Amino acid sequence: MDRIPILKFGNALLVTIQVDMHDRLATALEEDLTSKIVAHGAKGVLIDISALEIVDSFIGRMLANIASVSRLLDADTVVVGMRPEVAITLVELGLGLPGVKTALNAERGLALIGGVQGKQAADDADDD
Amino acid sequence: MNRDKKLSADQIASTVWSTTLLLDELGLFTLEIFQKSREEVIVRQQREIAELSTPVVKLWDGVLALPLIGTLDSQRTQVVMENLLQTIVESEAEIAIIDITGVPTVDTLTAQHLLKTVAAARLMGADCLISGIRPQIAQTMVHLGVELNVVSKATLADAFQLALQRTGRVVTRVKKQPGAEKPKVAGPQEG
Repeated sequence: MDRIPILKFGNALLVTIQVDMHDRLATALEEDLTSKIVAHGAKGVLIDISALEIVDSFIGRMLANIASVSRLLDADTVVVGMRPEVAITLVELGLGLPGVKTALNAERGLALIGGVQGKQAADDADDD
Repeated sequence: MNRDKKLSADQIASTVWSTTLLLDELGLFTLEIFQKSREEVIVRQQREIAELSTPVVKLWDGVLALPLIGTLDSQRTQVVMENLLQTIVESEAEIAIIDITGVPTVDTLTAQHLLKTVAAARLMGADCLISGIRPQIAQTMVHLGVELNVVSKATLADAFQLALQRTGRVVTRVKKQPGAEKPKVAGPQEG
C-alpha cells in the first residue's frame, strides 16, 4: 500500500497530496501524521491539496480530524492551495472546516505557520 | 341587405361560422406569436442580467470587490461563487469584499448563500468582508434571527480601508497643493 510522504520542514511538517485520495490512504495519512507530530515535536502542519481534484465527505472529515488531532498535540494545521471547485464542494457538503487555517499557496501557508510561531516565541520571550 | 341574390339561412349560418373559426385561428396565432416573442425577450434579458450582474473587481493588489446587484437566488449565487473563487486564484487575492448595497432584500436563504460564499472563500485562504448592509435589511436580518459571522462594514469605503490595513497599507493625504488635491496610497512594500 502506498503512503503519502510527510516532510519535515524546520519545526513544521509538510504534506503534499498529489494522488487521488482513497479512504485507506486517508486513514494511513492521519495515523502517520499523528505519530510524526509527536516524534518531531512539530508546531505546524502544512497540507497542500492543490493537486487534489476530488473530495468527498470522508476526505473533508479527515482534514477536520487531522486539524483537531494536531491542535491537541499543539500543532497548527494550515490547508493550502484548495481549488475553487473543491471549496464549493466542501461548503455544499456542509464541511466548512472551522478549526482549520487556510492559505492560498504554500508560501503564504508557511508564512502563516512562521508568523504564529514568531508570535509565540515573542510571547514566550515576554513571559521570560 | 338588399342584394339580388338571396342566401338561404343555412348558407348564412355556415358562412358566419367559418368566418368566426378563421378569426379565432388568427387571434390564437397572434397571441401565440406575441407570447413566444415575449418569452424570448425575458430569457435573453435573464441571461444578460446574469452575465452583467456578477463582476469581480480588483480594487488593489490582493483586494477584490464583488458588488452584488439584484436578488440572490441559488443559481446566481452559484455563478457569483464560481466567479469569485476563480478570480481569487488568478489574482492571488487575500481579501474579498462582498458589497450588498444593490441587494434589495436579504432573507434567510440569501443569507445562507452569502455565508456559503464566505465559507468557500475562506477555504481558499482568502478573508471575506461584507459591506453595504442597509438599515432596513439589518433590522430584517436581526428579526429573522439571521447571523452573519463575518466582519461587516457600513460602506465599501470602510471595508476597503480595513482591507488596506490588513494588507499593511495606509492611506495618507499628500501635502495640500493648490489646484491638485488627491489622496495617495502608500505601502511598505508594493507589488
